[in-house]
Amino acid sequence: MSLAVALSKGKLWKGAGLRFRAAGLPFPDAEGRKLVVELGGLRFLFVKDVDVPTYVEHGIADCGIVGSDVLREADADVYEPLDLGFGRCRLAVARPGSTPQEPRHATLRVATKYPRLAAAHFLGRGRPVEVVKLQGSVELACVLGLADCIVDVVETGATLRENGLEVVESVLECSARLIVNRASYHARREEVQSLLKALESAVPQEVLA
Amino acid sequence: MSRGTTQVPPGVQCFVGDEARRRRAIEERVCSVFEGWDYEEIIPPLYDYADAFGGALSPRTYSFVGRDGALLALRPDFTSLLAKIAAGRLADRRPPIRLYYSGEVLRFEPPRAGRQNELHQMGLERLGGDSRTADAEVVAIAAECLDAAGARDCVLALGHVGVFAGLTGSCGLAGVDVERLRERLGLKDQGGVRELLREAGIGGEPAAGVQRLAVLAGDASVLDEAERALAFCPAALAALAELRAVAGALQAAGLGARLSFDLGEVRGLDYYTGLVFRAYAPGLGFEVGGGGRYDALLARFGRPMPAVGFMLGLDRLAALLERQENGAPPARPVAAEVGGAALGSSLAEARARRGRGLRVRFEGGPA
Repeated sequence: MSLAVALSKGKLWKGAGLRFRAAGLPFPDAEGRKLVVELGGLRFLFVKDVDVPTYVEHGIADCGIVGSDVLREADADVYEPLDLGFGRCRLAVARPGSTPQEPRHATLRVATKYPRLAAAHFLGRGRPVEVVKLQGSVELACVLGLADCIVDVVETGATLRENGLEVVESVLECSARLIVNRASYHARREEVQSLLKALESAVPQEVLA
Repeated sequence: MSRGTTQVPPGVQCFVGDEARRRRAIEERVCSVFEGWDYEEIIPPLYDYADAFGGALSPRTYSFVGRDGALLALRPDFTSLLAKIAAGRLADRRPPIRLYYSGEVLRFEPPRAGRQNELHQMGLERLGGDSRTADAEVVAIAAECLDAAGARDCVLALGHVGVFAGLTGSCGLAGVDVERLRERLGLKDQGGVRELLREAGIGGEPAAGVQRLAVLAGDASVLDEAERALAFCPAALAALAELRAVAGALQAAGLGARLSFDLGEVRGLDYYTGLVFRAYAPGLGFEVGGGGRYDALLARFGRPMPAVGFMLGLDRLAALLERQENGAPPARPVAAEVGGAALGSSLAEARARRGRGLRVRFEGGPA
């Protein structure tokens, strides 16, 4: 059976394609609707980005490509041997620029798609926190008064500015990672290593240095 | 009643018929290997004082207050119980003491796919005696158990916690956050390891050596490579020499093809003190089992003694065999229906057949 790679057709898709092609590895095109594609000795599984760690942890996929934000939030028990050096962004705390430094009430209310990381960030700093899990348009939570602040991924910061929010703290620097199932790493060592070596050769030197 | 009377709590397991038969068959095969190496079965209590189970498992232990006010806990593993029994009830026994067990443990796991709170573990502990002999023996037994259960293509990945402990303890890594370094190394996150070393201002051989650990996994050649990369650190070399001695014995005994090495295996560092190994199989995403040397545990119970052991998860093994389509449960024998005559004479007929060892399905008859 060929090595299975879990990918999402989301924001890391293009970067993943560039790395795979630069490594001389096959890469499917985004057009098809099939969710499983066999190509040049690899089996690509198209799943939602938050599900990539799950498929890899369970060994349904041997490897996967996922952002470190999603990976840390999932807390999956997988190896993460390679920083692929693209999809760079920052998970950060942002809040309306006009509000005072401390909220009026003792328990900070935080809206986020990353409840685990958000809770760990504030609790780790001794701040009681109420985490409100949202699936999208997190900025709106502050604008509409659902939360005092948000924890979300910031790339250019344009969306935040347009909604009157500013970054106040950094939570995590993120980038795309190659993750590997623990059992596959050992039990299918040669195949995993050849994929790993090929991708490593496609990552710019400054990322690996 | 708000919860239906048939609702079960999350995390429990329940096996019926074929599944139960498959598990029982695996358990019997594995336990017969333990017996074959002259280990003695031990059936420890289901609960004990909570302080018997220290360490990493304590946040995942189900504890409760006994009638006398003592804090008790349902066993989250067997090893600490066996150590306690070896130090107490078996205090007069001369080492090596060879014990095995098979049974359920309970651990709280956050609700999450693939994790159960009830697990069935089968394992052994070899307490005392010569350490190299013991290390080689238990790895060989683990390999035989996997074969006996019918698992194919399993790999035993061997490591030694003394390599990392030696490097961080005495070889130029002072100032680094060892806990974070260990976490990143355990994930084989080369970039993360590099970053931590850079933050701590560590370079040169120590930095290069610890970074190598993240990739030093594979066949026996990684031991040679490790010896070169860690030549500056006597403590790490001593650990490598121990690992090499065990690997050499296993190779000489014909197990070389089953072995793999993983010098970046640093999980359980606060518990293990030497050899560590884990069994992996293609087709199952999780390890099937594992073990290692834990020379510090027995001292907690007042009988300091080196020890080594391993455990296989029955749940994992059953899942693996199912995926490898190798674990067809033993066929259920056909039973003869007995009944139709008057209840008394039907029952007499059934008892007579049972007396001859036959399988009967009793259907009864008019009273």
